[in-house]
Amino acid sequence: MLLKTDNTTRSDPDAIEGLEKKRGRIRSRQGGWIPGKGVYNHGFSMLEDLVGKKTFMQIVVLNATGKLVSKPLADWIEAIYGCLSWPDPRIWCNHIGALAGEAQTSVTAATVAGTLAADSRAYGQKTLVAGLTFIQTARALQRSGDSARDIIDREVKANRGKVDIVGFARPLAKGDERLTTMESVTQELGFDKGEHLCLAYEIEQVLVHDYGESMNINGYMSAFLSDQGFTPEEVYRIYSVMVFSGVTACYVEYADRPAHDFLPLRCDDISYIGPSVRTLI
Amino acid sequence: MTSVINLDVTTARTVERRDEVFAETITTKIWREQPSTDNPYIAQSHLCHGYELSELIQKRSFTDVLYLLFRGELPSKDESSLLEKLLIAFINPGPRHPATRAAMNAGVGKTDASHILPIGLILLGGDRYGGGEVEVAMRFVRKHCRRPSLTYLQEFSLGHKPSTVDKTLIPGFGQAYFGIDIEALQLAENLLESTELELPTLRWSLDLSEGLQGEGLGILRTGVAAAVLSDLGFQPRVGAGFYQLMGAPGILAHGLEYSNKPMTAMPFVKDSDYVIED
Repeated sequence: MLLKTDNTTRSDPDAIEGLEKKRGRIRSRQGGWIPGKGVYNHGFSMLEDLVGKKTFMQIVVLNATGKLVSKPLADWIEAIYGCLSWPDPRIWCNHIGALAGEAQTSVTAATVAGTLAADSRAYGQKTLVAGLTFIQTARALQRSGDSARDIIDREVKANRGKVDIVGFARPLAKGDERLTTMESVTQELGFDKGEHLCLAYEIEQVLVHDYGESMNINGYMSAFLSDQGFTPEEVYRIYSVMVFSGVTACYVEYADRPAHDFLPLRCDDISYIGPSVRTLI
Repeated sequence: MTSVINLDVTTARTVERRDEVFAETITTKIWREQPSTDNPYIAQSHLCHGYELSELIQKRSFTDVLYLLFRGELPSKDESSLLEKLLIAFINPGPRHPATRAAMNAGVGKTDASHILPIGLILLGGDRYGGGEVEVAMRFVRKHCRRPSLTYLQEFSLGHKPSTVDKTLIPGFGQAYFGIDIEALQLAENLLESTELELPTLRWSLDLSEGLQGEGLGILRTGVAAAVLSDLGFQPRVGAGFYQLMGAPGILAHGLEYSNKPMTAMPFVKDSDYVIED
């Protein structure tokens, strides 16, 4: 015996008693289906209160956050989905969809695989957490007296002189054409600019002037949704599958084509940079 | 190409491609496929970190080649033996682990057989009881194991009164079901006894575990995996995926066991035991 242990778990009896009460039982705050009685969702009857009366996106947000949002807000949340996913297989998650089509997986497997890939620090749904956290922290700093320039200077200093602020600057391109469309959607749905969005525009003005960088779609939606009272985690949950549609599109294109249609690679298209041939002793 | 976007603000917002330079080809140190003479798309032989795959098949174990894939060199006899024991130790997260339960659920639900393993592995990558925790634990032990565990414990104690200790504060250490995970301790002891290697990280981790006993805490399975993988020279970023890989056989076996059974073969919580809270 190497270890000085008496082989007991030193468990808390009250905690074990708590586990015993949960065995074979589910207590749900979300809802559930009781056959013969109905389907319940956050206190609503799914079939009497929600289906046909609320939009699909209102129900999606309800499931993700427990909040029944207004139809205009749900429409806004749905509209921006169109900005977050499009059928270009060069985009990393979509590339996986195309490869899955080539590999003849099921469409569900392909879409799930691509969607999982977008759970990334560099792009996709996970970056929304950083985007909302930034603008909400920045707004708190602004309330304490900081200007947009103070906020940017602090961020740039922390990143050793680089503009690396989630929501401002974007991979592959400078500028973001999606904002113009969403600005129109926001206006048409009757939303005003809230305090987070106003700050985001102030930050953008400084960044454009000083660094030639502007707000991207993450920054816009992070600020808008912060103004609507959502937390970073709530937004991450609402948009957990935000790229799925583009992934499906790229899957479909190559699933319906003959084998080896998507970027075929010759053996020597992969450059081997490892050790040269060696023999086993 | 630059296009001016119609903007409702004073500064025109433009979209232009960045001048990022992307690689022309994919490169790898791991694998070379030697093309056949008449079709450049069909390989006629393969090298793994310089070794002919055909020779590895004949002369080396699966464990040796697994180590080679991730470390770039073949293991010593002792390293290979330890890795093989580690693979056995973690071959099955067990039928109560969320990952295995998910696989069994997929199996009994008649999910496509090819989906069972990915479903389980996603859960085995989680930050609780899974690969996500192994990666963080590897970073933790690598950072602290050069100093005596007692020093770490003293610093830890200074910052936390025993009654307020967050039981998930030390990655790879804590409680399983509100108690010390004696199975993890036995696993660690088994691995220590089965090798001639020194395993300094695992010994340090067990010292720390012993020091935490008074708080009702100890090393977890994820902590054992993290320590041994560190002692074998694996980098933390390997930890999450390698932990998934090690548990894959058990997850798949349990999932497939249920795939031919009727849906009624698995418990379904009774309506009377399903409580919808207000």
